[in-house]
Amino acid sequence: MGTGRKTIKYIIVLLIILIVLVIVAASIGAAKVSLKDTSLIIASFIPGVNNFINIEDLNPQDIVIISQIRLPRIFLSIFVGIALASAGVIFQGLFRNPMADPFVIGVSAGAAFGATIGLVFITGVGLLGISTTTIFALLGALVTTFLVYSISSARGKVSVTTLLLSGIALSAMLSSMTSFIMIFRAHDLAKIIFWIMGGLTAASWYKFNIIAPMVVVLIMISGFYMRDLNIISLGDERAAQLGVQTDRVKKILLIIASLIAALAVSISGIIGFVGLITPHILRLIVGPDHKILYPTSAVAGGIVLLMSDTLARTILMPREIPVGIITSIVGVPFFLYLLVKSKKQVF
Amino acid sequence: MSRKRKILSVKNLDFSYNQNKVLDNISFSVEEGSFISILGPNGSGKSTLVNLISKVLRGYEGKIEVGGRDIKELNPKDIAKIVAVVPQYTNPGFSFTVAEIVMMGRHPYISRFGMEGKEDFDVVSGAMEKTKILPFANRKFTELSGGEKQRVIMAQALAQDSSILLLDEPTSHLDINFQIEFMNLFLSLNKKENKTIIGIFHDVNLAIQNSKKIMLLKEGRIFNFGSGEDIINRESIKSVFGSDVFVGRNPITKKLYVSPVFNPGDDWGISRQTANKYLRVHIIGGGGAASPVMNLLHSSGYTVSCGVINTLDTDLDTAQMLGIPYVTEAPFSPISFVSQNKNIEFIKSSDVIILPAVEFGSGNFSNLVSVKEAISSGKKVIVIDEKNIRERDHTGGKAEKLYRRIIEDGAIVVKSINQVLRRL
Repeated sequence: MGTGRKTIKYIIVLLIILIVLVIVAASIGAAKVSLKDTSLIIASFIPGVNNFINIEDLNPQDIVIISQIRLPRIFLSIFVGIALASAGVIFQGLFRNPMADPFVIGVSAGAAFGATIGLVFITGVGLLGISTTTIFALLGALVTTFLVYSISSARGKVSVTTLLLSGIALSAMLSSMTSFIMIFRAHDLAKIIFWIMGGLTAASWYKFNIIAPMVVVLIMISGFYMRDLNIISLGDERAAQLGVQTDRVKKILLIIASLIAALAVSISGIIGFVGLITPHILRLIVGPDHKILYPTSAVAGGIVLLMSDTLARTILMPREIPVGIITSIVGVPFFLYLLVKSKKQVF
Repeated sequence: MSRKRKILSVKNLDFSYNQNKVLDNISFSVEEGSFISILGPNGSGKSTLVNLISKVLRGYEGKIEVGGRDIKELNPKDIAKIVAVVPQYTNPGFSFTVAEIVMMGRHPYISRFGMEGKEDFDVVSGAMEKTKILPFANRKFTELSGGEKQRVIMAQALAQDSSILLLDEPTSHLDINFQIEFMNLFLSLNKKENKTIIGIFHDVNLAIQNSKKIMLLKEGRIFNFGSGEDIINRESIKSVFGSDVFVGRNPITKKLYVSPVFNPGDDWGISRQTANKYLRVHIIGGGGAASPVMNLLHSSGYTVSCGVINTLDTDLDTAQMLGIPYVTEAPFSPISFVSQNKNIEFIKSSDVIILPAVEFGSGNFSNLVSVKEAISSGKKVIVIDEKNIRERDHTGGKAEKLYRRIIEDGAIVVKSINQVLRRL
C-alpha cells in the first residue's frame, strides 16, 4: 500500500521523462545542436559531474545559446508549469469541483488588468531587474485574490460558493476594465493581447532564480496539508468530525495556491488549461489521493508546459506562437480523448 | 456494582443560531458503555447537539466535557479520538477507494509530517472486517450501493478508535434489512467493546427497542430523559411529536412499540371539538370489522366501548391499544351467557350501538341477538352495511333473517364507515 513508495516510483518515472525532454528541447531551435553536445553542456552545470566533463572543444556559440537562451526558458517553463498544476490541484481539491483551475478566483483577470496598467501607463524599467508589467501583474493578482477572499469570508469561515461567485464577478469587471483601457490605447493593443495570451519569451536565469525558490517553498509547505485536503473532499462538516481544522487548512491552502498562481501568471501571462488538465490526467493515472496527486501533478505540469513551450517556439520557426494557444489546441483534444476513453467518472 | 465513569457531561448548554434559540439549557450526563437514543421532531435540536459535542459547531454557552475534559481545551484531533460521528450521508468529491476512505478515520492519530504506520493499517482492516467491507476494500467508493457506502462510513468512524460513537441518523435512508444489520452492529460494539453509543434515530421503534435510555427533545429542551419503559407513552409522544400514536408491546420481544394512529375524522372535516364527548357508543366487534370504527370514533373524541370479542381477535388488540372498555370471550369459543350479559350491560348504558360488517356464525350469533334487543328497547342503532349480509351469514340464514329484522325495526343503514360520523 505505502503511499510514500508509490509516490517515489511515479516521481522517478516523471523525472526521467522530464530530463529527456529537457535535453531534447534544448537541442532544437533555430540553431541545431546535437543531442550529445546538448547533454554535455547541460551536464556541465551539475556540480560534481562537471569535473568529468570537458566542453572546451564544443562550439562556444552553442554553449551560449543553450546555457543563456534555451535553458533559462526551459527551466522557467517547467517551473511555471509546476506552479500552474500545483495550484490547479489545490483549487480543484478545495472546491471539490472539476472545473476549478488556478484562475478560478480571479487571479488571471487581476493579473491581466495589472499588466495592462503596467504596459500602458508606467514606462519605467521596473524594480530589481523585473519589468513593471510583471510587478503590476503580480500586484493585480494579489489584490484581486485578497478582495475575493475578504468578500467570501465571515467570522473565520470561508464560503466556497461565495468565493467562486465573487471570483467570477470580479473577473468579469476587471476584464471589462482591461478592455476599456485597450480601446483607448489602440497602439498598445498588440502588446496587451500578446501578454494576455501568455508566453515565456522574456525568460532569463534572473526570473527563474526569483520564481523557482518561491514556488518550491510554497509547494513544500502546502504539501504537508494533502491528507487534510483528501478529507476536506468529504465536505467541511465531515472533515471537522474527523479532526481536521477545516477553516484553518482551507485558509492556508487558498492563500498558498493563490500566491503560486499569481507568481506564475505574473511571469508568463495567462497560460490556460495546464492547471485544469494536468491534475485530471494525473488523477486518472495515480488516483485521487492528494498525497500522491500533488507532487506528481506538479512534475507533470512542468512536463506539459515544457512540451507546449517547445512546440510554441519551434512549430512555425522562426515565428513564435503564444504558448497559451498551444496548451489549449493540443491539451483540450487530448483531455477530451481521455474523458471519452475512460468513460467513467473522473471525479 | 462499581460506579461507572461519566464519559460525556453537558451542563447548561445554550446555543442560538441567528438569534433563534436552538438549544435551551440542556444538561445531562452519560456513563461509559451506555446506549442512548435522542428522539425528537425535526428542528428539535438533535443534530445541533451532535455537532456541538463533536465540536463541529462552536459558539455555545455552557460546558461540554468528553472523557472528563472540557472540549474547549481539546483540539479537533483530540476530540476525534474520543468522539466518532457516523453521519447520515457522505459524498466524497473524488473517487477514493474504500480503503482510502476508511484510512481517513486515522487522521487524528497521524501527525502532519508523518505517514500511516502499521498500527493504522491494522486498525483500518479491523474496522473493515467488523463492517464486512474487506472484500471490496479496493473498489471505488462512488461505485458502491447506498448500504455499502454507509458501511464504509461506519468503518471510517470505527477507525477513529473512539470510546463514544455519535450516530446522526446513520440508517435513515437505508432499507429495513440494513437498519437491522446496523443496529446489530451498534449493539455488539456496545456490548463487546463497551463503546458508548449516543444515537439519533429517525425510527422511534428502532431506538426504543434497543437503547437503555432515551432522551426526548422538544423545541431545544430536554422533555424527558430516562428508560423507554418510564418515558415512552402515548402522552409523551403526543406532546413531543404532536402525533397520536398507540404505544403497544411487541409480542415477541415484549418491548414497547409505537405505531401511528391516523385520525380519519380529520379527513372528513369533523374535528374533535364538534364531537359530543358525552355520547357513548358501543360497537359490536368481531374479526377486525370493528377496528376502523373504533379508531375513528375514539380519535374523534367519543366515549367508545366494544364487545363481544374473542381473545386473539384484531378488534381486541385495537380496543386494548386504544384503551377502550371491551367484553371478551375465550378464543374460538361461542359467546357465553356471562359475556352476553356483560355486553348487554354496555349496550344499555350506551346512546348509540354500531353494528359493523361482522361475519356471523353460531358462535357470535348472540351478538346479533343483543343488537335486536337494543333496537327493540328503543336504542339508536347504526348498521354499517359494507358487505352483503348473505355473504357473511354462516348460520344458514338465521343471521340474515335477524339482521333484516333489525333494519326493519328502524336501524340506520350506512354503506361505509365514512358516513357513520354524520349519522351519530
